[in-house]
This record gives sequence, structure tokens and C-alpha cells, in this order.
Amino acid sequence: MPEPAVGDHLRSVGRSERRRYRAPPFVPLWALIGIAAVVALIGTYPYYGSNAYVLSLLGKFLCFAIFALSIDLIWGFAGILSLGQAVYFGIGAYFVALSLKINYALAHPTRYGGTFPDFMEWNGLTELPYFMTPLISTPFAVFCALSVPTLLGLLFGVITFKRNIYGVYCAVITLAESLILQEIIIEYQAYTGGFNGITDYSNYATPGFLWFILAVAVVFLLIARALTHSRVGTVLKSIRDNDVRAEFMGYNVANYRIFVFCVSAFMAAAAGALYAAWVGIVSFLDAGPVFSIEGVIWTAVGGRGTLIGPVIGTFLVKGAEFFLSGVLASWWQIIVGGLFIFVVLVLRDGIVGSIGNWIRKLRKGATLHQLIEESDQKAHDRQLEWRPGGPPPTDEPVP
Amino acid sequence: MEPLQARGDEKEGISSGERGMLQSIITQFLSGFSVVAILVISALGLAIIFGVAGVINMAHGELIMVGAYTAAVVGKLGGNTFIAIPVAFVVVGLLGLIIERGIIQWIYDRPLETLLATWGVGIILQTVMKLIFGPELYYVGAPKILEGGFRMIGRLPFPWYRLFLIVIAILLLALVFYVIFKTNLGLKIRAVRRNRAISGCLGIDAARIDMTIFAFGSGLAGIAGAVLAPIKSVSTTMGFPYAVDSYMVLVLGGVGSLWGVLTGGALIGEAETILSFIFNNVIGRLLVFLFIVIIIRVVPRGIFGYYERR
Repeated sequence: MPEPAVGDHLRSVGRSERRRYRAPPFVPLWALIGIAAVVALIGTYPYYGSNAYVLSLLGKFLCFAIFALSIDLIWGFAGILSLGQAVYFGIGAYFVALSLKINYALAHPTRYGGTFPDFMEWNGLTELPYFMTPLISTPFAVFCALSVPTLLGLLFGVITFKRNIYGVYCAVITLAESLILQEIIIEYQAYTGGFNGITDYSNYATPGFLWFILAVAVVFLLIARALTHSRVGTVLKSIRDNDVRAEFMGYNVANYRIFVFCVSAFMAAAAGALYAAWVGIVSFLDAGPVFSIEGVIWTAVGGRGTLIGPVIGTFLVKGAEFFLSGVLASWWQIIVGGLFIFVVLVLRDGIVGSIGNWIRKLRKGATLHQLIEESDQKAHDRQLEWRPGGPPPTDEPVP
Repeated sequence: MEPLQARGDEKEGISSGERGMLQSIITQFLSGFSVVAILVISALGLAIIFGVAGVINMAHGELIMVGAYTAAVVGKLGGNTFIAIPVAFVVVGLLGLIIERGIIQWIYDRPLETLLATWGVGIILQTVMKLIFGPELYYVGAPKILEGGFRMIGRLPFPWYRLFLIVIAILLLALVFYVIFKTNLGLKIRAVRRNRAISGCLGIDAARIDMTIFAFGSGLAGIAGAVLAPIKSVSTTMGFPYAVDSYMVLVLGGVGSLWGVLTGGALIGEAETILSFIFNNVIGRLLVFLFIVIIIRVVPRGIFGYYERR
């Protein structure tokens, strides 16, 4: 029996089946119309809606959606499950919040006449710590908020992926990372606001800023689309599906992983920075493991491996939480727990992924991915023909 | 004893400050053994479930929590820790059996997704316990014979209960070693772990072994909860830090190795105690985390890790 060669998948798929696969366009028409409609709907809310709370929620959900997108980029497209993505979100948010708070304190002296943030005064500091003085400049703070998490992501990637640490190990290390960041924030309350977080600063809750968040979200969606639609994206997906094979084909798996991890950290940091500027309160919870895992579940519910999936998942889960958690009280938590189990057991591809599968089935077509999986299964069965209960030997006699 | 020691030190020219520092580090080292014991006790159940069955059980902390609540109920009914240990083993073991039959058995082939599903299980367990027992904290007393303590070399008080924890850790470790290496069940477990398909050919029901492993590991988590209840206030959120610590122990020591549990627990426990004493709790934890990351970078599969040939 000949050894299956690298290109065997496509050969055994057959010519007619191969023709059934057509590469999708960069942005499909339905997605373009859908995104434009959603942007218009959310962006004009301040002009037709009057509920300030809903307005604030919309901006918040958008930031969460960008955060979920950043998780999807590494988990859905490169197979890296990070349970500490909130570390990057939190660092971005804290830089911006600190800067805004410092500027607010300069304009509004505290009760005892201090011109530095009140939580520092409560914790016995007499002036702004010297290492925080550069943060008076908000552009510099935004620069830090975006670059520091990206560099941290790079550092993390170099430490782990270069040594082929991935999968469970990566998940556990990132989880511990965010738990420790959370503890540091609580412990050094003189610099971070501790348990109460950073509150009471002038945030940008204006319709203009909502449009800005929308613009960032759309740009990030396009960047993510460009990334996953390109050759790099194909390599990333092959790493997700079979990293050993990708390595044998000559790709530097570690570098691809590091790259996508950095992009994802950058997006999470941007989401955090926008979040801090929009909501006006940042706490240790925004850097903690629970928030990280929440992001993972939004991605899973919406559909990982699809780009609009995480956005839809975020809006659905957070929206449901907004409407139901008040009515159901602690039963809501049970529903969330059940949702995790349901997504893993039944709705494996998430909402968007399942709808996509359904449409594909209606069209009687198949994606390249499914065809490869099918032929992979055939090759696998052929190799395992000696196993009791396995499929009977096929055409060629075993030498 | 005391003056003699002081004279000896003067002879060697060690100042009393340095001697005090050294002595307290030694006492910290000794009291660190109880931290090691706590880590080993809480990580053992996970070592079985994660290392042998390959399930990333994020509900491990919640299983410990359920064990602790079991101990609280047993305490309310007039029992003590000695009675709570077998009760918690049975209760949490059965709970693990239900979780395995209901959820885990369908997803053994997708390890990263067991993480999500078991996280959901954890949330549900937390909420259910909160609905049953309310949000208040429970305090479980140590058994009468284990109250009080003795003084160590540095005259640091050392409670009997901590010594009891060390003994329990040794006993549990011995029990797991016995089950894995000396019994028929352990032989089957090792066979399934080494090669699932071949052991299936030899007539071992691999699914049944997985089920047993999960229930046994859960039961061990229950014992951990029952034993740890007297040193920590029992609440619905108490489990998560234990779970993360357990994972760090396993990642450092090597997944699937019992010696790894002991080594990882010893390194992390001692390092954390001593570093926390020199700096503070948070810096101690941060340094331990960095230390783990560095070691993982050198030995990616942990100190006693199992390197598969591929």
C-alpha cells in the first residue's frame, strides 16, 4: 500500500468535487449590507433612542465584541486557547483610565487640595508617583495602552510558542497570568485603585465617541478578514488543524503563532482602552480570569472560526444577561453554565457556524475543509484496517 | 539551649540580626511543609483526572468546594473531620460520576473543549450551592484532638492540624501510588493511558476505566475539600484558587506523574512560603509564577513529564 502523500487529500477528493469549491470574496455582499445596517442602527441610537443606559451598554458591548474578536483570532483561526486575554484588555484599560483620572484630578483638586487622583491620597501618597508623570499626556498613555500589551504578548509568545508549549499548557499559564495580574491590582491599591478600581473621571460618553468605537470595530473586522483571508491565514488554519504537518511542510509554526498572538493582544488592548474611555470605570475584574473566560464563551456561542460570530455571540449573551439576569437572579448563572455545556456538546460550531453549515447543506455543497476532513477520514480508516471492528481491507492487498 | 546557641553564633561572628533572619527563614521552610501538603492534597485528584483521563477539569475547585460543604454539613450533624473524609469522598465521587456520565463521556477526544464544559459545570455547582446554603460563610472546626499545637525551633507556633494535613498528604499520596501501581485497576489504568487502542484489543473496557478515574479523582477532590475546610472559611467561591494552584503544580511537576505532583507541590509550596516571607504575598506569587514559566521553558512537559515519541 503506498504511503499517502501530502497532496493526496485533494487528489482523492476528485475533480468534480474540487470544482464545487469556490473561494469566497473578500467581503461578501450580505456581510457588507449587514454590517452597514448594524453600524447605522447602533450609531444613530443617540438620535432616536433616549435611554442613556442602553446607549452606554451599546458602547460597552462593542468593546466586548472587539475583545471577543481578538480571542477568535487566536482560538478560532490558530487554535491557541488563551484564558488570560483579559490581561491585555485590562492593561490597556488601566493605562487610559489612569491617564484620564490624573488629568481629571489636575482640573478638580481633591477635598484636601491635592492635584493627584483621590485614591492615591487615601492610600497615603502625597504626590503623583514619578513613574506616572508621563501619563499626564493622554496620547502617550494611549500609545502605552496599545504597545505595552502587544510587547507583553510578544514576550509571552517567545517564551511559550518557541518552546512548543501550546494547548492545555498555554491555557493554564495564561489563566494563572490573569489571576496574578488581578492580585497585583488589588494589592497595590495606591497605584491602581485596588478593589474599587478607578472611577470618577471624565469619560467620553458622547455619540461621536460611539461612532469612533464603531469605526474601530469595523476596521478591526476588516483587518481580521484580511489576515484570515490571506496566505498567512491559510497557514494559521493549517497550524490549527494539524501543527505537526504544517511544520513538516516547512512553515515556522512558532513565528506564525507569535504573530497572530501579538495582533490579538493589540486588539484586546485597543478594546480595553476604548472601554475605559467610554464607560468611565475600570476595576480588577476587567483584568481577571473570569472575564477572560467570558470572552471565550461569547466566541464559542457566536461561532469560532467565523469573524462575525464573536460579535453576534457577545451581543446575544450580554444582551440576554441584561434582560434576564434581573428577572432570573441567580438562576441566570445556571443558564450561563448550561450554555457552556450546550455549546460544547451540541452547538459545536456556534450559532454562525451552525447557520453556515445549514446553508451549505441546503446548497448540497461542501467546503474545502469538510472535503479534506472526509478524505482524511478515508485515509485514516485505510491505515487502521487491521484493528478489530475496523473497516474491512479495501482494494490493495497488504504486502 | 538558648544561651549555648547564642555563644556559638558569636564565635562565628554572625550578628543577631542575620541569625534572626536565617532562623526565621528556616522556620518558614518548616512551616512551608504544610503549604506543600495543601498543594499536594488539592492537586492529587486533578493529577488523576487531568494526567490519566486527559480531561481539563475546570470544575476541580468546585468539587473541592462541594467537599468542604459536605464537611460543614457533617460538622452541623455532630461529626468531625475524620467522619467527613469518607463521606466527602463518596458524595463528591458520586457527583463526579454523574458529571462524567452526563457530559464528559462525549467529549474525551476534544480536551480543550472539556475545559469549557467543565467551567460551565463549575458555574452551575457554585450557583446551586449558593441557592442551597446561602451566601454566608461557613466555619468548620478542627477535631478536638487536633486543637492547639506545639512550638517549633524558631518558637513559631505550629498547629497540630497542619501536622495532620502533612500526614493526610502522605497517606493520600501512598493510597494513590498503591492504587495505580499495585492493584489490578491501576494496571488497567496504566495500560489505557499508554495505549488506548491496544488495551481495548486486550479486553479492557477503556470507557469504564475513564469513568472510574473521573469518579476516583473527584472523590480525592472531595477529601481535599473536607480536609481543607477547617483552615479556610467555606464559601462557594473558595475553590477556584485551589484549582489554579493545582494546575500550576501539575504543569510544573509534569502531567501524569505522581512524583511530579510531589515535586511540583514541594517546589511551589516552599518557594511561595519563603518568597512571601521575604517580600509579600503578591510578589511571592508573582515570583513563583515567573519561576514556573522559566522551568517550563527549560522542560516544556514539566519536570517528570511524559515525552511521547512522535
